[in-house]
Amino acid sequence: MTATKQAINAFIHETGGWAASQLEACTRCGMCAEACHFYQATGNPEYAPVWKIELLRRAYEQRFTLVGAMKTALGLNKRITDEDLKHWSELNYYACTVCNKCSMVCPMGIDLGSLLHDVRAGMAAAGMVPTELMAAVNKQVEEGSPLGMTSAVWDQRIEWVVDEWEVEIPRDVKDADTLVVFSSIEVMKFPTNIAAIAKILNKAGEKWTISSKAREIVNFGFYEGSLEHTKLFLSRVLEGAKELGVKRIVVTECGHAYDALRWHAANWLPEANDFEIIHITGLLGELVGNGRIKLKPGAFDDDGTITFHDACKIQRKGGHIQEPRDILKILAPESFKEMTPNREESVCCGGGGGVIAIKVADPIRYAAFELKIDQVNKAGAKTVAMTCSNCRLQYADCVDHFKLDWKVTGLAQMVADALVE
Amino acid sequence: MNWNAVLQFARGPFFYTALLVFVAGMIYRLVTVIGLGWSKDRVPVKGSKAGGVVMSFLKGILIWPFIPWVKNTFKRNPLIYIGGGLFHLGLFAVIFLGAAHMLVFKSLLGFGWATLPLPIVDWLAAAGIVGMLILLINRIIHPVLKLISGPAEYLAWLFVFLPMITGYSLTHHLGPPYEVMYSLHMISVDVLLIWIPLSRISHFIFYFFSRAIHGQEFGKRGVKV
Amino acid sequence: MPEETIAQSLKKKGVSRRDFLKLSGALAAAMGLSNVLPVSANGLPLNPGRGYSMNRIIAKALETKSRLPVIWLEFQDCAGCSEAITRSNSPTLGNLVLNTLTIEYHETLSAAAGFQVEQAKQDAMQKYAGQYILVVEGSIPVAEDGIYCVIGGRTAIDILTEAAAGAAAIIATGNCAAYGGLPRAKPNPTDAKGVWEIITDKPVVNIPGCPAIPEATAGTIAHFAIFGTLPELDNLHRPMTFYGVTVHDRCLRRPFYEAGKFALSFDDQGAKNGYCLYKLGCKGPTTYNACASIRWETGLSFPVQSGHPCLGCSQPDFWDGGGFYQGQSAPLEHPEAVAVGAAAAVGAALGVGATLINQAKKKPKGGEK
Repeated sequence: MTATKQAINAFIHETGGWAASQLEACTRCGMCAEACHFYQATGNPEYAPVWKIELLRRAYEQRFTLVGAMKTALGLNKRITDEDLKHWSELNYYACTVCNKCSMVCPMGIDLGSLLHDVRAGMAAAGMVPTELMAAVNKQVEEGSPLGMTSAVWDQRIEWVVDEWEVEIPRDVKDADTLVVFSSIEVMKFPTNIAAIAKILNKAGEKWTISSKAREIVNFGFYEGSLEHTKLFLSRVLEGAKELGVKRIVVTECGHAYDALRWHAANWLPEANDFEIIHITGLLGELVGNGRIKLKPGAFDDDGTITFHDACKIQRKGGHIQEPRDILKILAPESFKEMTPNREESVCCGGGGGVIAIKVADPIRYAAFELKIDQVNKAGAKTVAMTCSNCRLQYADCVDHFKLDWKVTGLAQMVADALVE
Repeated sequence: MNWNAVLQFARGPFFYTALLVFVAGMIYRLVTVIGLGWSKDRVPVKGSKAGGVVMSFLKGILIWPFIPWVKNTFKRNPLIYIGGGLFHLGLFAVIFLGAAHMLVFKSLLGFGWATLPLPIVDWLAAAGIVGMLILLINRIIHPVLKLISGPAEYLAWLFVFLPMITGYSLTHHLGPPYEVMYSLHMISVDVLLIWIPLSRISHFIFYFFSRAIHGQEFGKRGVKV
Repeated sequence: MPEETIAQSLKKKGVSRRDFLKLSGALAAAMGLSNVLPVSANGLPLNPGRGYSMNRIIAKALETKSRLPVIWLEFQDCAGCSEAITRSNSPTLGNLVLNTLTIEYHETLSAAAGFQVEQAKQDAMQKYAGQYILVVEGSIPVAEDGIYCVIGGRTAIDILTEAAAGAAAIIATGNCAAYGGLPRAKPNPTDAKGVWEIITDKPVVNIPGCPAIPEATAGTIAHFAIFGTLPELDNLHRPMTFYGVTVHDRCLRRPFYEAGKFALSFDDQGAKNGYCLYKLGCKGPTTYNACASIRWETGLSFPVQSGHPCLGCSQPDFWDGGGFYQGQSAPLEHPEAVAVGAAAAVGAALGVGATLINQAKKKPKGGEK
């Protein structure tokens, strides 16, 4: 029973009034299921968000409530077993991207995404994380990145981008204003993004730099749910920022990293508040808004309908909902069409939360993507723009899998391509 | 069976005890939940936490129950929206705007208020009962609800339904004589009062916590609630 | 036993044959006898067939029966029930009934007093043993061996038990004799009881009310006088004829209840319009009595019609029924602010205790993160 014990200890340790009051508020109405794209796509009732956090609720009830104590005394309690942990590990890691759409529809407003995160913390403590995900975490611990981007590989890639696209990328510049931290997904899979962002910042005259210490913004500890690993990866970024004496940190096109650094880090590592933290999407909006960069109007109006995919952690949970639209209105006033639903109610791509790293979960991931296919087709679009490179990875993989004829691009890429020189 | 004696007991000492158990129980629940500890949020705010909280409550209490299309998910959940909405509407109308219950509050608080005409309260009570039945049927046949529902859910439904159905029969003189129905109504109300702190019916209090948290989480990120 | 029949004594008083039949009809109507079958007491077949209406049956009975002796005892009472029946504005019915009886003993109505009257009662009880009707008015105190009601040196319990032994029928008139009435109200210092709580070996008919409706008492006595049996009773021993429906079910203001139009105070527009008195504390819905149909003073009026909410005076313990002007739906007992505060404090204290236990559980054990 050791795994279970460890999980339960973790659940209990992290259950405060914040979690408890929400667990108490749930009326088992089941609305959250209707918002979950995994449930919608597969019809598997176990994918209902309320069911995913059931172990947390059970542990809470059994340990902390009078009713729980009474049920234990009467022998009415279902004790949590190792088998339960294994089963729920699959539900929580394979079939959840922590997109948090469930909390938008909950009539009680329960923040299921965060509660699910708490469940993952228990899983991590019990060693019940899916092997593939854990392997990636360990890689990031040892090598600094889950995608095999060691310091040497990083150096090499950045050099190559500088040469190939002829952009200047300041490195380890002390007392620069802004530290830009790329994700290994961009460095390894979408290097044009690096060039694009460099081009934009240089055009805007920004005093920026990248850091060899803070070279990875991706945080697989956050997917795993382990606070220890999350803090480790965050502190690498913050230490790099501190060493260079920058005033702000820009998170490039990555979603969960922004969630972790901007909306949580300060509660774990107080030094996070020494910096202003912003997402590249927000920065782009700022630069366009105050005229530091100028865009060619209608630059993308001649290539068929273009639609925008809201990334869960950047739009719904990040707040950068209007900036992409403002930019797209300039870049493609005629051909930009919204998907439905959109903005904070948008549907997740299905690949976030670490799901795409888990091959075993592929069937579920592809099933969820069918909802997106439907949405894009209804919008009549052939090009999909987005602000998160994990979404881009998912879209690219699915376009390949489903043999679709779409173009998948990033917003930064579009802005760079439409820059007025 | 001396129903007059049963009625006196149900309206007298049983109600007295039930009300005290209700008060003590709810305070206990609140203290234990709050006592589990709260941590300070040091993350800088982008939008407005307070604004988010206000919108969260407005949408939760004032707008959402009445304009379901505010939420895009209505299309996928019409049963729960309609059933849940009818039930709550009917329940609140009868409890707070029905003459009979207003007199109960008057005796407890010392002041009363204007109430709706009986035929209107009647329709709303019937709507509430229909809502409850819709919710029960949904809970039994929907795969997700079947999975997540256990004895706690069905008992909670029963203990809320009994006062509604006995109250309705009472007012309309359906079935057994008035004092029998009144006794059953009072007994079911007393049982409900005791059951609330022991069950999820207490969500009416925790609602305020979770909706405030919801408002804060989205408000601080500048996202529309 | 007086020799002449009831009909004969009526004829002596100058009541014509036609009037006699009319009176019989009125009596039948008052007793609610539209299809009660007279039984062997009258030597009539079960199925009278054509030509036999209720009036004629009653008339026949009155013609063949002689007047019944009645012993009327009063204990912890106000004599209101006696006042109601004797001063009632129904000369025909009241007098008719009184003409079917000879009242051998009645404290209030007797001209004489003292030990001679007591002796007369003893004589009557002996002479008519097994034949007289015992009517009781007022409650019987049992605290301290019944010392709170002593008449002529004897306790009420004693007097009642003695009189009940030789009675052919026992009728408890008024709420006090039926259920204890006013003396039983909290704190009930005399431990007042109704007749049926003391006399348990014989059937007791309760005619509750405060006072009892004269027609109810009269009609029940007449039923026994004519048919020799007690009428059909409910589970509180009240004759179904008069107590079978609630005041609410026959109330003239019922449409206003249904429409939700209530008087909010005694002189507001609602009251002037004759709206329902539910919000002013009317206990009509749970009160079984004939007030709304038979009414008082030969159908002149009844409390609700005159603008006062029903007190529920024919129900047991109506004095403790939650206040005459408190809504019927309100609870009978509710905790005071102090009790609620105490409950909240208890809940909070238990909560704090539970919190301490929970916080201790939360502390990570050695080796854990």
